[in-house]
Amino acid sequence: MPPAPTTLSFNTHRARSYVVRLPLFTRAVLATIILFWILGLQTWWDVRQWGALIPSEISFATLYRMNTFPFIHLNIFHVIMNMLALTPLLERFEAEYGTLTTLALFFGLMGASIWVFLLLGMEAIRTYKTNPYFVLGTHNIPTWTTPILVLFCVSALVPSASFLGHLSGLIVGYVCGFGYVKYLAPPEKILRWIEGKLNLLGRLPHYVSVDQKTYGRFGVLPSTSSPVPPAVGLVQAPLESTPRSKRDNEEVAGLEETGALERRRHDGATTGALRLRRDPRIMKLPPYMSLLFVIVGVVWLLLLPFDQYSRRTYISENALLPGQVHTYFSGSDQNVLRAYKHEVNALVGKSNVQINDKLESILKGIGLKTARQNFTYHAAGHAISGQNLYAILQAPRGDATEAIVLVAAWENAKHEVNRNGIPLALTLLRYFKRWSLWSKDIILVITPDSIAGPQAWVDAYHDAHNPSQVAGLPLKSGALQGAIAIDYAQETRYDSVHIVYDGVNGQLPNLDLINSVVHIARGQMGIGVALQEMWRHTDSYQDRLSTMLRGMLKQGLGLASGPHSSFMPYHVDAVTLQPFGSGWHDEMAMGRVIEGTFRSLNNLLEHLHQSFFFYLLMSRDRFVSIGTYLPSAMLVAASFTIMAIALWVKSGQPEKEDGKESDDKDVSTAVVERDLFLPLGVVILCQSLSIIPLYLFNHASETFLTPSFLFFTLLSTLLPHALSFYLTSARNTPATAQHYHLLKSFSLLLLGMFLSSLATLNFSLSLIIGLLASPLTFLCYPAKTALGRALSMGLLHVLSPTTAVLLVGLAATQSGGLGGVLLEAAKAWHVSGTWTSLVVWCVWWPAWIVGGVVVLGRVGERKVKTL
Amino acid sequence: MDGGKVTLGRAAGLYAGAAVLRLAIFSLLPALPDLLTGRVEISTPVTSFKRLQEGLFLYNHNVSPYDGGVYHQAPLFLPLFSLLPSYATFPFLTNFLYVIVDLLSANALWKIAESGEAGASAHFTSPRREKRWSGFVIAATFLFNPFTVATCIGRSTSVFTTCAILHAVAKAVSGAPFGAMAALAFASYLSMYPLLLLPPIMLLAYDRQNPTRAIRSPLKFSLACTTTVALISAALLGMSYLLTGSWEFLAATYGVQLTLSDLTPNVGLWWYFFIEMFDSFRSFFLAVFWLHLSCYVGGLCVRIRSQPLAVITLLLGIFAIFKPYPSISDTSLFLALVPLYRHVLPLMRYSFVIAAVILYCVLLGPAFYHLWIYAGSGNANFFYAITLVWGLGQSLLVCDLMFAVLRDEWEVERPEMVGKEIRQI
Repeated sequence: MPPAPTTLSFNTHRARSYVVRLPLFTRAVLATIILFWILGLQTWWDVRQWGALIPSEISFATLYRMNTFPFIHLNIFHVIMNMLALTPLLERFEAEYGTLTTLALFFGLMGASIWVFLLLGMEAIRTYKTNPYFVLGTHNIPTWTTPILVLFCVSALVPSASFLGHLSGLIVGYVCGFGYVKYLAPPEKILRWIEGKLNLLGRLPHYVSVDQKTYGRFGVLPSTSSPVPPAVGLVQAPLESTPRSKRDNEEVAGLEETGALERRRHDGATTGALRLRRDPRIMKLPPYMSLLFVIVGVVWLLLLPFDQYSRRTYISENALLPGQVHTYFSGSDQNVLRAYKHEVNALVGKSNVQINDKLESILKGIGLKTARQNFTYHAAGHAISGQNLYAILQAPRGDATEAIVLVAAWENAKHEVNRNGIPLALTLLRYFKRWSLWSKDIILVITPDSIAGPQAWVDAYHDAHNPSQVAGLPLKSGALQGAIAIDYAQETRYDSVHIVYDGVNGQLPNLDLINSVVHIARGQMGIGVALQEMWRHTDSYQDRLSTMLRGMLKQGLGLASGPHSSFMPYHVDAVTLQPFGSGWHDEMAMGRVIEGTFRSLNNLLEHLHQSFFFYLLMSRDRFVSIGTYLPSAMLVAASFTIMAIALWVKSGQPEKEDGKESDDKDVSTAVVERDLFLPLGVVILCQSLSIIPLYLFNHASETFLTPSFLFFTLLSTLLPHALSFYLTSARNTPATAQHYHLLKSFSLLLLGMFLSSLATLNFSLSLIIGLLASPLTFLCYPAKTALGRALSMGLLHVLSPTTAVLLVGLAATQSGGLGGVLLEAAKAWHVSGTWTSLVVWCVWWPAWIVGGVVVLGRVGERKVKTL
Repeated sequence: MDGGKVTLGRAAGLYAGAAVLRLAIFSLLPALPDLLTGRVEISTPVTSFKRLQEGLFLYNHNVSPYDGGVYHQAPLFLPLFSLLPSYATFPFLTNFLYVIVDLLSANALWKIAESGEAGASAHFTSPRREKRWSGFVIAATFLFNPFTVATCIGRSTSVFTTCAILHAVAKAVSGAPFGAMAALAFASYLSMYPLLLLPPIMLLAYDRQNPTRAIRSPLKFSLACTTTVALISAALLGMSYLLTGSWEFLAATYGVQLTLSDLTPNVGLWWYFFIEMFDSFRSFFLAVFWLHLSCYVGGLCVRIRSQPLAVITLLLGIFAIFKPYPSISDTSLFLALVPLYRHVLPLMRYSFVIAAVILYCVLLGPAFYHLWIYAGSGNANFFYAITLVWGLGQSLLVCDLMFAVLRDEWEVERPEMVGKEIRQI
């Protein structure tokens, strides 16, 4: 009884052993076909004319054609197709009937693709005898029809295929298969005599003797019969290279008992990957892999500042042409500036509306259209309100479809009055008004503060504001192409310009904008440029690394860092320029930097899109792009996913009561049914509880923030204990080890998933949270002893979200300690829409709680059913 | 699981819970429905509620709703929604209609589950059929599936198609071929692609005929069914003609699906491909894509002839991947039917991978869409890559479910192979 057909999945080992074991005649035929094809390549002797079967040419002298035509083919594809089709069939035929019989039968009769159909016909009859039907739907279809289908397909698909030749071959094949032409084969006695006389078996390699022919051989396709011993471990691989002849003999000997064959076939199925999968050592790997991923992720990050991993910045957008124009902002404009400064200094200390009244009259005097906007945000019991003033310079050469924004906040982020920035902005507008080259409108926005005011203005400009808090804009222009904010509170002359570029939620402006400013300030004006408050940057490894880490920390916090930050979510590239240090540059140089940048932006034909939006800057002219740095965050996120998958697999394995893998057959598919409801329920519960801190800390008023945080910290410390008590003691059936595996698996899966999604939006936040949460992967196993439990739990408490917030509160003494930090977070949530608190409370906190539950978990008695 | 008794109390509780959840979301989070309506994952050009409003406005002002090329849905929606009070002033009734449709779908699903067709069909009885979920559980997984809830809140008109398809299956299962064909005709009228379900539903109805008045001849039966569908469809189309006064609705509704003239992004595989396509190849590839979509019908019907409900389930999964304008609503319909195969779920090999892939896509899809559309720092390739992964996750589920169903059948034929490792060819 032949075994059921199995797949012929490709395996190089098997393919090689198959080719090596092809019998003699098959080899000879293949070699001849190739030989004739090579012969056909030359031109002076037409092989096809010589050897093809052409009815009109047949005479007694050309009877050789009857034997040569199988080797002659139309082209290389015909050769390859025929060889591929012929090899397995002929090989089986030869193995069955012996080399001599094959030689005798095939010489005198037939030809390659015709041979194919002949052999197919015989095969079909053979299959038909053992396995008469295959089932299609509810119908039985006789198997002997398949070659006919193949024949029709071939004649339909292959041009110039000889339908008649193939059909004749097929018919002869059927006849042979039914045994009607057995008498054509030479008698065995003669063959054996020839064999004996010539000692063919001894002389010729790959020779198949008449006595070796076995009808059972048909069941053992070489592709499935590679004798692989019972799968135990990896050590079996070398056995594949057993000397061929010996193995063949074994195989032939083994064919007598079909039982052995069956066993071998079963073993054959458990090869390669499967065997590897069942290796018990595999399950020990994931924690190490996970740790390795975290370490590689961190090391990767530390490598970035080196020259080999970072790149020099360059201007990607051709239209910008930074520093290519003369800037004329000088001379008499300095007198105007001085006058405006005088006016502005007189306004210091007055109310928002009074300031705006005065400034509006100045702007009107310049000849600009002006408008105002009121806003009131509510956060943590505070009302943040004010009035924005803005003016639009309509472009003489534009159609008001595009605009560039100049922002000057009355107070900067440190609440210093922008004493030089406001007069400079007014003077620049007055100066710009005189030029006729603007193709984009220029909007000057003067806001009372650096965060809420610009946010209100940009929201309203894009009609995305909440009308109950922010008034609409009475006057608008076209799509914003870029924005520059001036933060110039310093009274003395300066040395360098500090470029602030972090947006809300870690969004960054297009790198081209920063590069343009650097190019204009440094290259054209000779002003120094600094980033990330690195006032002194020597371009050493340490300086680069600290610039990068400061940038990442700011990006991770996701707070607005200046008036420019609010523009980023609307895809408006923006930076804030802050002069610093003491040097010899004056306000006019700053004005020229802004003029040059505006001239560049004015050149833009479309939004900045050429250069990078995801990058880490490590000095003013070195950066790494997302392709280089993203792997580190992804590796950290992947470390969670790996553990999740490993735990899932582990939870499906039967308990280790039966010691080592006793019987490879049963272990293979014995998967324990998983009880998903309890772990899923706990994970979902923790995930939904996370709404409480999120809501609480964003909606409690300022006086309650600190007490409610402390209270929440207490609750959050107790929650894992309570949940674990419920799981181990309060239920009728305590949670099993499988439950804890699944619990941890789901929690880590979610964490990994959130973090890898977050990495595409805010790389730094994802990396920071990932690193802070990585102990959850390694620490959280149900501890065996009380001491271990206490130790693990203590470590977990050190690395909890609440501890992190507490520590940040302690560190930030100048911004009001814990209460100040919570207030800032609430303000950022309500005004700028910062997500950081969402990530901390709804991603990290639930994972931490589940981690605590797993650490505290005590495994109950096992009650698992095997499937 | 209880014996599967439809106790009125449990059913009422479940339906009330689902309705309260939906109505609570509608009333407590008033901004959410409009947000979801705008999401490309939920609203496609052929199911969007916003576009329905536009068509309704034109219809109420006696302008052809198909002027302007925004509205691509069936004309009979218009009188239905114009009977309801305007959504802008009094949204409750419209919301309530959507909730009711969801509950009707769940009810049909309950009937399908209780029939036990998934475990024991006319030609095949699974040895594992004892292990199954009751109609209550299956209806609950449908009603509380986030995809279903989001579709309902987003008021996509695909819920009507979902309802019609489920009713067609439920009728076929309960031995009412005529009702099944009528429901199928409605589904096809609304979104056209359900017409491809005609062969498996016919098989299902044929197998489950009431023995007292059964049509034994397969030919006669299929002729009767096809005629029924054709007649009802013709009647619906005729009504549409009378309603709009011209045949232009054919091009605007079915024509758009056939030619993919609206290239709004969605979670499917077509839009990006046809954005990139040169015009000269367009018609060829349209034919190829449609042929590809429909070629599964014949193959699956023949191969899994003994379990027509499995064919329907798998086909719905395939449609959710390869249809011209798929949305998560189609996925929710597929996921509604998958739990019917509870008995073969343990035979699936990649359930964790599938769940992880689908969850990843749920998070990464909106993130990449945000990067593309709002942040401007990504581009269309980001979103398309994720829709590819989404398609991959679903096709894994389809393949794995098919493997499980076939293996279940195969183990009956070859009892000695139960529990052994095998490979799929």
